[in-house]
Amino acid sequence: MIQIFRVSKSYGANKALEDISLRIRKGEFVFITGPSGAGKTTLLRLVFGADTPTSGQILINNINLTRINRKNLDLLRRKIGFVFQDFKLLNNKTVFQNIALALEVTGEKPAVIRKKTHQALKAVGLANKEKAFPLQLSGGEQQRVAIARGIINNPLILVADEPTGNLDPDITRDIMLLFRTINMNGTTVVIATHSRELLENTGQRIVVLNKGRIVEEIK
Amino acid sequence: MKLRLCIYFFKTAFTNIINNRLVHMISIGTITISMLLLGSFLLLSINIRNWLGDWGESLSMTVYIKDGLDQSVKDKIESALESLKGVEIKGFITKDQALINLKNSLGDQAGLLDGLKDNPLPGSYEIVFHEIGKYRADPEKIKSDLEKMEGVDEVQYNEQWAERFRGVMNVIRIVGLIIGGFLCMAVLFITTNTIKLTIYSRRDEIEIYKLVGATDWFVKLPYLIEGAIQGLVGGILSFITLFVFYSIFSVKTIQVFGLPVIDFAFLSFDHTVFIILLSILLGFIGGLIAIGRFFRI
Repeated sequence: MIQIFRVSKSYGANKALEDISLRIRKGEFVFITGPSGAGKTTLLRLVFGADTPTSGQILINNINLTRINRKNLDLLRRKIGFVFQDFKLLNNKTVFQNIALALEVTGEKPAVIRKKTHQALKAVGLANKEKAFPLQLSGGEQQRVAIARGIINNPLILVADEPTGNLDPDITRDIMLLFRTINMNGTTVVIATHSRELLENTGQRIVVLNKGRIVEEIK
Repeated sequence: MKLRLCIYFFKTAFTNIINNRLVHMISIGTITISMLLLGSFLLLSINIRNWLGDWGESLSMTVYIKDGLDQSVKDKIESALESLKGVEIKGFITKDQALINLKNSLGDQAGLLDGLKDNPLPGSYEIVFHEIGKYRADPEKIKSDLEKMEGVDEVQYNEQWAERFRGVMNVIRIVGLIIGGFLCMAVLFITTNTIKLTIYSRRDEIEIYKLVGATDWFVKLPYLIEGAIQGLVGGILSFITLFVFYSIFSVKTIQVFGLPVIDFAFLSFDHTVFIILLSILLGFIGGLIAIGRFFRI
């Protein structure tokens, strides 16, 4: 599903990633971990096409991101859900509107948008919050809204950058359970985190980065 | 493009305008003033051009003859005049008639002429050339040919005035083009910056739309529509304002220096459409510049 070949990324003189090679299969659940500045977010940004590597190749579902044009990249992004630590929700839109916008951009019919949005809300346990605005919700609920938006297009891959960074342990457990459920439904899940608690007894594949290099892989 | 998407783009554009209404009101107001000035110049230059055109097409000429001519010489002059293409002899003004006309024009001061022993005024033919453009008549050549004829004293015509006014007209046109150009630039500048402000205020939203896979045009189109709407509203308001001013001042006819009357008409339908379309185009281009320079997704 995700193939990374000898990828390096530099920002000026600063090397964020150096000679990274990684293969993530369809339906896998992978943690990318490491200390701050290890290159976790850079790696996810490259997978998401938000940035291009300085050298090397990245294939997503056999599509080479380094050779893709803008329009196809936009279309590919509809197959990749994302979740960020700061949720990236629009505070002037309701929960429903925040989730529905991921379908609006595809030109989907309003009836389909309504149906799928309700399904996504139900899947994250927020069926009764569709009319609320993000700032009326708790941090955990806001992250659920972000996850609902990330999965509404039935993505091949769900990418999450520190999704529980702002959440307390109980809510973190709920959110991680949600990611596992999504993964069990066939979506490849890649989560970047520096939280040791999250990785304890996880049983999932863990890729450890340090100073822009893969230093360890735990399967 | 799907109707649903069109509706979405227009809805988004209108929502942007409503959410940033103060900025848009200022922008539309400035566009209105700019287009009003542009429309006023157009109105003025079109009317002056029409007026000069009408006037220039019917050139009048006065052929003064020498005193004491034989009837045969007068007949020769008359037939020479009649042979000119597009000419109409309006009449012959005798020396006596010329003096009466002068006295009438002097009014109360006509007594000044009482001391004259002899009538110094010459007799003259008043002729009018119709459609000189069609016959390619050269007033200067006609004047010089006629003045070479036996019995003709002098030929006068109002071409000097026409040329002077054409000069004025050209100056007005050039000034209008320069000012119009500046006003168009101002409209572009204003629209570009208003839309930049809107884009800036919605940068988080744009980023999220891009992250969920919106194409560039999906995000950009509402801003272009926004610019065009600003232009449209500004154009219509400027047209209404211009029409109101035109109606209030109601200057339908103007007479200048005894020259033919100017029929001061309002802008034609074509010119109105031109002003509004130009305004829309400027708004659209303003939006295009804003998204081109500012929009880096």
